[in-house]
Amino acid sequence: MSKKEKVVVIEPATRLEGHANIVIKLNEKGGVEDLNFCVTLTRMFEKFLEGRLAEQAPQITPRICGICPEPHHVCSLEAVEAAWGVEPPSAAVKLRDLMMQGKQISSHALHFYALAAPDFLAGPFADPSVRNLVGVFKNMPDAVKKAIALMRVGQTICRYVGGRSVHPVTGVPGGMTKRLSEEERDELLKLIDEAEELTDFTVDVARKVIEGYLDVITKLGVVPTYYVGLNVGGMHTVYDRNATVRVMDPEGKIVADFPKKDYIKYSGEHIAPHSYATHIFFKPAGYPEGVWRAGPLARVNIVDKMETPKAQELLKEFRDAVGRPCHATLAYNWARIVELMEAVEKARKLLEDPEIVSADVKRADVRPKEGNGVAIVEAPRGTLIYNYWTDDEGVIKKANLIVATNNNIAAVEKSMLVAAKQVFEEKIHEKLKLPEPWFK
Amino acid sequence: MPVKVMFAQLASCWGCHQSLLDLHETLIDVLPQLEIVFWHTVADYKLHDVEKLPDGSVDVGFTEGFCRNEEDLHLLKLTRQKCKLLVSYGTCSTYGSIPSLLNLYSIDEALSRKFKEAESVVDGRIPDKYVPKMLEYVKPNREYVKYDLFLPGCPPEPPLIAEAITSLLRGEMPKLKERTLCDECPRIKSEVIVLKKVKRDFEGIPEPEKCLLEQGYICMGPATREGCGAVCPSAGFPCKGCMGPGPNVMDQGAKMLSALASLVDYESVSPEELVKTVKDVIGTFSRFTLPSSIIPKSVFKKK
Amino acid sequence: MAGDFEPKILGIFCNWCSYAGADMAGTSRMQYPPNVRIVRVLCSGRVDPQFVLKAFELGADGVLVAGCHPGDCHYVKGNYRAERRIALLKEMLKQLGIEPERLMLRWISASEGAELVKTTEEFVNMLKELGPSPLRKTS
Ligand code: SF4
Ligand code: SF4
Ligand code: SF4
Ligand code: FES
Repeated sequence: MSKKEKVVVIEPATRLEGHANIVIKLNEKGGVEDLNFCVTLTRMFEKFLEGRLAEQAPQITPRICGICPEPHHVCSLEAVEAAWGVEPPSAAVKLRDLMMQGKQISSHALHFYALAAPDFLAGPFADPSVRNLVGVFKNMPDAVKKAIALMRVGQTICRYVGGRSVHPVTGVPGGMTKRLSEEERDELLKLIDEAEELTDFTVDVARKVIEGYLDVITKLGVVPTYYVGLNVGGMHTVYDRNATVRVMDPEGKIVADFPKKDYIKYSGEHIAPHSYATHIFFKPAGYPEGVWRAGPLARVNIVDKMETPKAQELLKEFRDAVGRPCHATLAYNWARIVELMEAVEKARKLLEDPEIVSADVKRADVRPKEGNGVAIVEAPRGTLIYNYWTDDEGVIKKANLIVATNNNIAAVEKSMLVAAKQVFEEKIHEKLKLPEPWFK
Repeated sequence: MPVKVMFAQLASCWGCHQSLLDLHETLIDVLPQLEIVFWHTVADYKLHDVEKLPDGSVDVGFTEGFCRNEEDLHLLKLTRQKCKLLVSYGTCSTYGSIPSLLNLYSIDEALSRKFKEAESVVDGRIPDKYVPKMLEYVKPNREYVKYDLFLPGCPPEPPLIAEAITSLLRGEMPKLKERTLCDECPRIKSEVIVLKKVKRDFEGIPEPEKCLLEQGYICMGPATREGCGAVCPSAGFPCKGCMGPGPNVMDQGAKMLSALASLVDYESVSPEELVKTVKDVIGTFSRFTLPSSIIPKSVFKKK
Repeated sequence: MAGDFEPKILGIFCNWCSYAGADMAGTSRMQYPPNVRIVRVLCSGRVDPQFVLKAFELGADGVLVAGCHPGDCHYVKGNYRAERRIALLKEMLKQLGIEPERLMLRWISASEGAELVKTTEEFVNMLKELGPSPLRKTS
């Protein structure tokens, strides 16, 4: 490093899920030389899963992420079932699906209102003391009340199905330990009525925010990458036992659509010396060319259609405005709203299915066996891949996990670098059209 | 007057945060009473903002998570220094919780598994640039700093959090319930329990109302502190002990191991069979408390 | 090196049989190794696994639990409980990196003073082979 270079460290990066610092290297002219997104934490579940009973893994791995433990619970569970060759009853599969939708609802609401909205509503240059959830609350209590209500709906679904609202426990290889009672079902249906209204409100807020910030969204931190996500025959899904994994290249061409068990052929982990989170990429394209993104934006990019009607309309609106594929990082927030709609509609569909209250939710004849099982689901923040190797008594010998956020680390770093260059070198923040803040 | 609070997230999963959010509408009463001085999930204050605060100037500090690396340790000590009252929030912070099962392995083995040997890794190396150094093993936070209150649970269930927060806002010290989980569990239990068979969690179909331990499932109720409302057994799944040890228990794992051994029918379950069924003793009985157990880590693998 | 190492052993003996056996060994002047500190309990079924762990934590190289022969326990099932506890405890020790052989369970009756001496000698020799407990604070 030459003496004229300057290093800016942002410690910690805030309002995101995870622990990270950002190190920006500036040259003497104030230009951005390099940017490192340093994820500073790993708890290495892969190691201590070794030696655990496989049926306990679904109880253990939710602790990877307490914001989205349900996808971890389900994915962990189904990797064990895949290794042991166990097929759960169809009612159990529907319950797991319902829980996944519940989590989409609460996590997307949380992300939109608590993590992203403060910037949009208070404006990116507001003081930290107002640019946060509490600040939003003091100035727009109604919006926050609605956000809280929407999260409550999602979390209640999770709790009724999973037994706890954080770190679900009911999934065991071969099914679920708890059925949904008819009373619970009726109560949840009422909550879904509430959620539908709240979602319409959220769509309106999002529309206004997006209109105001369209300039920022389409100009700041735009990076072309690959995209990865689950789909069933081109349709959007976050959980489907028969889904395949689609990969789209930066031009928008579908370059792979592979069965879950082949994940290792298509996904590689690059280890950056400055990050405890690995950089996942599309293996056939190599690193860094093959850097991909996962999560809401990736999913709406790779699919041909949404599963439910209102979500499909929103997808159309999204595409008309920003195209396919959309590379604008800030469009994640919009994609999230498209998915929120689908989750609410899908939850209703599941709850209206009479089988959802079936008592036949668990097999009694599960046997451990030696095997290698892969499962993949979509967590709110991206594709989640689990692979377990078990011995003949059902003890885990090895575990390989690719967790949702890691799919985005390399791309996050890339878009930060682009944005940093735009800010430090072009002073783009002085040129972008910003709306009046909703409050100050 | 709003209460000045800071929230330090050490190595954690954020589940304790999610559980706090699960207070839902109750948050609406609580939020305006808080003045946040540091909370990296919620507000954009940076570490240097905390370093500048006068010592003891924050009314209440919460820690979620344990110390996995040197940065965590720094933040923990800083938080203690700046706060009048320090609350250990959740089981990671209080006992270590699940992710500290890594204490069964050496840190080098673990780093090498994750960054070099993992099947999908293409260019293995151990990250060492701009990332904080990992600590050798997890110690409970209380061995590093003094706490004023422990609020266990992985995560603490929302009603427990609500109770604690309302007391704290009133300026009172919350009182935790003191009995064992079985005392608050709604399942029906017999006077005398004799287990003819010990089952793994996937075996058979549990009866809906009878005590799970009585049915042969390993339920940690007898060795665990109450306070969660027995949510797991109520949902058909045996308690795994996330509230930590019950009253007068030094070592939750040893206590439960002992309880299970005394409940099995010795004519039906031989010692060998018992060992064969349980298999993973630490992962079963000490899942949430290994770092605060009598012997807190594996000793032989280290050079 | 095995030569100079004198293992420290905690003996936890049931009052009714093994402790009486130890007493007998003492009164009949049988020589048993001085490495054992004996603690008396009412029944092997009262041996709390927490105590065993504590002993290791404090630097014991071995723990010998002794109780009445199967069928002879004064509290009927105490020794069966002990048997199962010790079996699980050995697994726990193994996972913690402590050789499970450092924990021994034996049935020794009141009349078996000689057996007691033999058992202790064997245990001491085995521990000498194994060397100091990995938990022992290096002096
Ligand atoms: S105690 Fe549990 S919920 Fe809380 S941070 Fe730790 S693992 Fe997550
Ligand atoms: S052992 Fe478990 S199921 Fe039985 S009463 Fe106690 S907590 Fe409830
Ligand atoms: S039942 Fe046990 S594992 Fe479940 S929340 Fe309560 S203490 Fe934790
Ligand atoms: S009385 Fe001796 S072992 Fe029970």
